[in-house]
Amino acid sequence: MKQTILDLIKKRTVLFDGGLGTELMRHGLPLGTSPETWNAERPDIVQKIHAGYFEAGSDVVSTNSFGGNRIKLAAHGLEGRVRELNSAAARIARRAAPAGKFVAGSMGPTGKFLQPQGEYTELEFEETYSEQAAALIEGGVDLLIIETQYDLKEALAALRGAKRAAPSLPIFVTMTFNKLPRGYFTLMGNTVSLSAELLEKGGARAVGANCTLNSEDMVGLVRALREATKLPVIAQANAGKPELSGKGEVSYSQGLEDYVRFVPDIIKAGANIIGGCCGTDPGYIRKMAEFIKK
Amino acid sequence: MVREELFSNIKKAIVEGDKPRAQELARQAIRSGVDLNEVIDKGYVPGIQAVGELWEKGDYFLPELITSAECMKAAMDILQPEMAKANIKSRSLGKVVIGTVEGDIHDIGKNLVASMLQANGFEVFDLGADVKLERFIEKAETEKADLICLSALLTTTMLNQKRLIEMLRQKGFYGKYKVLVGGAPATRKWAEDIGAHGYAENAALAVKAAKAATAK
Repeated sequence: MKQTILDLIKKRTVLFDGGLGTELMRHGLPLGTSPETWNAERPDIVQKIHAGYFEAGSDVVSTNSFGGNRIKLAAHGLEGRVRELNSAAARIARRAAPAGKFVAGSMGPTGKFLQPQGEYTELEFEETYSEQAAALIEGGVDLLIIETQYDLKEALAALRGAKRAAPSLPIFVTMTFNKLPRGYFTLMGNTVSLSAELLEKGGARAVGANCTLNSEDMVGLVRALREATKLPVIAQANAGKPELSGKGEVSYSQGLEDYVRFVPDIIKAGANIIGGCCGTDPGYIRKMAEFIKK
Repeated sequence: MVREELFSNIKKAIVEGDKPRAQELARQAIRSGVDLNEVIDKGYVPGIQAVGELWEKGDYFLPELITSAECMKAAMDILQPEMAKANIKSRSLGKVVIGTVEGDIHDIGKNLVASMLQANGFEVFDLGADVKLERFIEKAETEKADLICLSALLTTTMLNQKRLIEMLRQKGFYGKYKVLVGGAPATRKWAEDIGAHGYAENAALAVKAAKAATAK
């Protein structure tokens, strides 16, 4: 029987990919364009980026569908293309994936708030994520990853929606935490321990953190996650903060050498699944793959 | 003494995000005939400032900030018509035109800054997200604004903060409106490099930056 992602996690540290949004920009994604439209218009480039990550050593790549939920697409007037753009995202990643490698259907936040801060109900969010998950599954993903969540209630609604569409696929969830004097908190004030506990109860097969923090700050966060759950822990740090030169060239404050310096500590702290986030590229992933092999 | 108690109750209602109480105290203030500007300056504003400090310390988070800002707004909606009726000029710290720049649909941070500025006494014109750069200048012109606040979440769209300042220079409006920039990728250095008049890392600091920029 084919090895699943969960089998692989039991054997060794699993490597995801690095940044996708920043790579798309580097390949010329125009200002203000929804990245998901490139699944229809420039599938060749999206596939090339995925392939680059697999070549660098990724076991799993995330589909180009981070902003592919109906609510987010509606901000670009693309709400009628949920099924098309998400199933295409999955097919493109599938084409790039060598045999035995995995494709994770990426689902980012809606960018809107639940009541009372916002206007949406949990059921509306649940349905929004369920719709996206169904399209990703149709395109052929091996797992779903609900990413960069800043509201535990939204993450749980997403998890319910994803489970409804995919009762048998593994679903992973990452949240994004700020480092504050009293510890790590999401924008909404959710703690690491409560997040891990409720996501585990909700049926997530791995939980973790991504974005916001650089690899150095990620170490402590992984430690907190490890204490909070028995599930596999995911860690995908940013390459620090983006810096823009006056000429418009983007660089990230944490260079490759400094970033990978902390990768062994992230693994030691208890991460089972590692990868990069904004500002990381195949070069970072190649280095991380070397650490894992050691 | 009664006045001091009223002010401290108001502050408490804002800090606790108790909307019915914040509204009731506004009505009580009107009935008691105290100077309504004083009620705002010594009750409501210290309340929202305390909320900002709790946020900076990491004790309060976004839901608390939004709830308290809404309490402020609800109370102001009661006080301001009364003040207008009595011909009392409500003190404004200045007029602000705010929005997320063209090409960028992210509005969480911008909304937070807008509501904190408003809660602290600025008159805020929120143009929304994905706002054409010309619109900022047009609105600033028609409203005779003091400040233009530009939000961006992406490094690509952050360049539009720079473009807007260039447009102001071309039109000879540079300095006529003070420009504040913010958003996840923005930094103080970026703000200085592009000639912005201020930068803030979060909504609480944005209030301080706006006050500093308008005080000059």
